[in-house]
Amino acid sequence: MSEQNPQVRFQNLPATVRDRVNEAMSDAKVVFKVKVGELLVNRKETAEHAVTGAGRIGAKSGEISELTLIAELKPGGAERLRRFFKLIDGNLAGAGQVGTLHNMRFVFLDNDTKLLFATAYDGEWDPYIDDFATKIPEMMDYIFSNMEGWPGITSPEVKEYIVTRQVPAEAWYVSQPHLTVAEESRLLRQDVTLQRFLTELN
Amino acid sequence: MNVFRRLTRRPSLELDDIQATVLRARPEPYFGTHAILEITDPGGGRELLRRLAPLVPSAAHWDEPRASWLALALSYHGLEALGVPEGTLASFPANFRAGMAARAERLRDTGPNAPANWEFPFGTPHVHVAVTIFADSETAWRNEVAAYERQLHDLAGVRLLSHQDFGATGFNVFGYRDGFSQPVVEGSGAERLPGGGRPVKAGEFVLGYPSETGQALPAPGPDVLGRNGTYVVFRKYHSHVAAFNRFLHDNARTEAERELLAAKLVGRWRSGAPLALAPEADNPALGEDSRQINNFGYRDDPRGLRTPLGSHIRRMNPRDGKLEVLSDVNIRRIIRRSTSYGQPLPATDLRDDRESRGLDFIALGARAIDNVEFLQSEWVNSGNFTGLGKEKDPLISLQDKGAYFTVPGSPPRRIQNIQSFNTLLGGEYFFMPSLSAINWLSR
Ligand code: HEM
Repeated sequence: MSEQNPQVRFQNLPATVRDRVNEAMSDAKVVFKVKVGELLVNRKETAEHAVTGAGRIGAKSGEISELTLIAELKPGGAERLRRFFKLIDGNLAGAGQVGTLHNMRFVFLDNDTKLLFATAYDGEWDPYIDDFATKIPEMMDYIFSNMEGWPGITSPEVKEYIVTRQVPAEAWYVSQPHLTVAEESRLLRQDVTLQRFLTELN
Repeated sequence: MNVFRRLTRRPSLELDDIQATVLRARPEPYFGTHAILEITDPGGGRELLRRLAPLVPSAAHWDEPRASWLALALSYHGLEALGVPEGTLASFPANFRAGMAARAERLRDTGPNAPANWEFPFGTPHVHVAVTIFADSETAWRNEVAAYERQLHDLAGVRLLSHQDFGATGFNVFGYRDGFSQPVVEGSGAERLPGGGRPVKAGEFVLGYPSETGQALPAPGPDVLGRNGTYVVFRKYHSHVAAFNRFLHDNARTEAERELLAAKLVGRWRSGAPLALAPEADNPALGEDSRQINNFGYRDDPRGLRTPLGSHIRRMNPRDGKLEVLSDVNIRRIIRRSTSYGQPLPATDLRDDRESRGLDFIALGARAIDNVEFLQSEWVNSGNFTGLGKEKDPLISLQDKGAYFTVPGSPPRRIQNIQSFNTLLGGEYFFMPSLSAINWLSR
C-alpha cells in the first residue's frame, strides 16, 4: 500500500477526507497530504490520542494535560530567578514531590521581561492549587512573586491570575496518554521486581 | 453508640450565630424530613425567612441533646429569587452560582448519574430553599414538622416542591454504622477523640475565621451575610443493596468470607469496627466505642494489607497514609450530616424489591463545594492519587464495564465486575446562612 504512488493513495481516501485535507492545506505536497489523510481515516490511532479539555483551560490527552503560562516579570525578577536556578544548576528535582508533574521548564523571553512556564501534568491543575497553597506556599511564592500582579498562592485570585495568563495549546500530543506519573512509578517498581526475579531464576 | 462529643474547651467561635446543624451531631436513632421550596415572589420569600428564623436554633450548647431542630439553606437561584442585590450575588464563588447540575462534568456525574436523569426538583432553577428537620423521636419529629408547616400554611409566594422523610438507627441501608467520623473543628470546644486527627482550623468549616492557609477563605459580602455561614452539598443516592449483596455472594463462599469482603470494600465491618484495628474478624465492641472507633492511622499499613488502599474510608480520608500526589488531607475534610431513607435490605436478600432506599449525602464546610468536586474527580472516580490507576471507589463511584476492586495481600486478589452500588438521583449546592444573615436576608 505505502509503495503505491502518493497520487493514487490520495485518490483512494474517502472523498470527504480528501476535501477536508485539500481545503485546510491546499499548498502541501501530496506526500504529506496522504499522511494526514490516512491519519484522519485511522480512527483507532487518533481516538487513543484524542485531545479533550483540561477543565477550565488547556488541552488534555488521555490523563495528561498541558499548561503554558506567559507572565510579565517584575524589574529585577529575571535576575533573582536566574540566581536561584543557577544555585540549583537548573535542576528542579524537588518538584517530584508534587507527584503529577511529567516535566516543566522556565524560559526567559523578550530581554528578560517575560517568563514562560510550561509543564505537562496529570489531571487538571485547578483542584490541586489549594493543596499547593497549604503544602508548598513558600516555594510557589518565591518563584512566582517575581511576576507582575502575582496575588500570592493563598489568594482567592490566584486561579484567575493563572487562567488569564495561560495560553492554551492548539495541538497536543502525548506518547502514552494514560501513563500518569504515579502509573510510571508503579510500572518501574514492577519492572525492578521482574528483573530481580529473572536474574535469580538463572 | 453515643455520637455526642463532649465539650472540653471553651468555644471561641460565635456559636450563637452559627446554625446548630454545623456542629450538632444527628441523634441515634434519628427521624426527619428534607423539604425543598420555591420562592415565587421575593416578598413571600422574605416572609418565609422571617417566619422560619425562630425555628432555627444556634450551635450554642451543641453538645447537649435536643429533641429536634431545623436547618435552613439557600441555593443561588434562591438568593436571586429573594431579590438579593447584584453585587452580593456576584460575591459568591463560581461553582456555587453555576449549581451542581452545571458542574456535572467536574463531578463526574455522567451516564445514569447525569442531571438529565435526576428526580424533580433537582437540577431545576426552581430549587430555592432547603429545610431539614432532625429529631430524636417520632413525636418530636411530627411536632417539629407541624410547627414548620404551620408557618408555611397561609404563605403566598412560596411553593413546596418536595418533601422527603428519612430516618434510621445509625446504620445505613447497606447495614453499616455510618456518619460518626467527623473532623474536630478548632474553636468549637469539642474534645479530641483518639485517632480523630488534630483540630482543623475553623475557617475550613465556618466562613469568617482563619483557615488552614492562615487566612479566611473567600466569603460572600457584606460581612453580615458571609460570616458564620457555610456551604452545603446535598446529593440524594438510590442504593442498590440487592446488587451489593449479590456481589458479595458471587465473590465469597461463606458468610464469614462475605463479611470480610464487605469490610474490605468500606474499610470497616458493618459494626463500625475498623479493619485497621480488627483485621481478621469483626469486633463489635470497637464499633460501640467512640474512643476506639477512629483510633487508627494508615502509616503502618502502606500496602493496604489491613485496610485496602481503595476502600471507601481510606479514599475519603487517607489520614496519615502516604499518597502518590501532593495532597493536604486537612483541607479536604467535610462535616457529614448524611441521612438514610427507606428500609435496610438484609444481607441475605439477593432480589431487588424495587423499594426506594438510599442515602441523602450531606457535606458541610467552607470548602464543601470545592471538596466534593475534588473528591468526586480525584479520590472517588480515579485511583491515581493512591497508585491504583483507574480503579474507583467500590461504594459510590460510577463503575465502567470491566471494573474491578483490588484486595491487597500475598497474592493480591482482584475482584472483577464490580458495579455501581449507588445511583445519584439528584443534588444541589446550598449556602447555609448564619442566624444574623437569615435576618439580614429577610429584610
Ligand atoms: C450512598 C452513598 C454512601 C454510603 C453508603 C457511604 C458509606 C460510608 C460509611 C459506611 C462510612 C463509615 C462511617 C464513618 O466513618 O462515619 C463512610 C465514611 C465516609 N464517607 Fe461515605 N458513603 C456514601 C457517600 C459518600 C460520599 C458521596 C462522600 C464524599 C464525596 C463520602 C465521604 C465519606 C467520608 C469523608 C467518610 C469518613 C471517612 C473517615 O473519616 O475515615 N461518602 N461512608
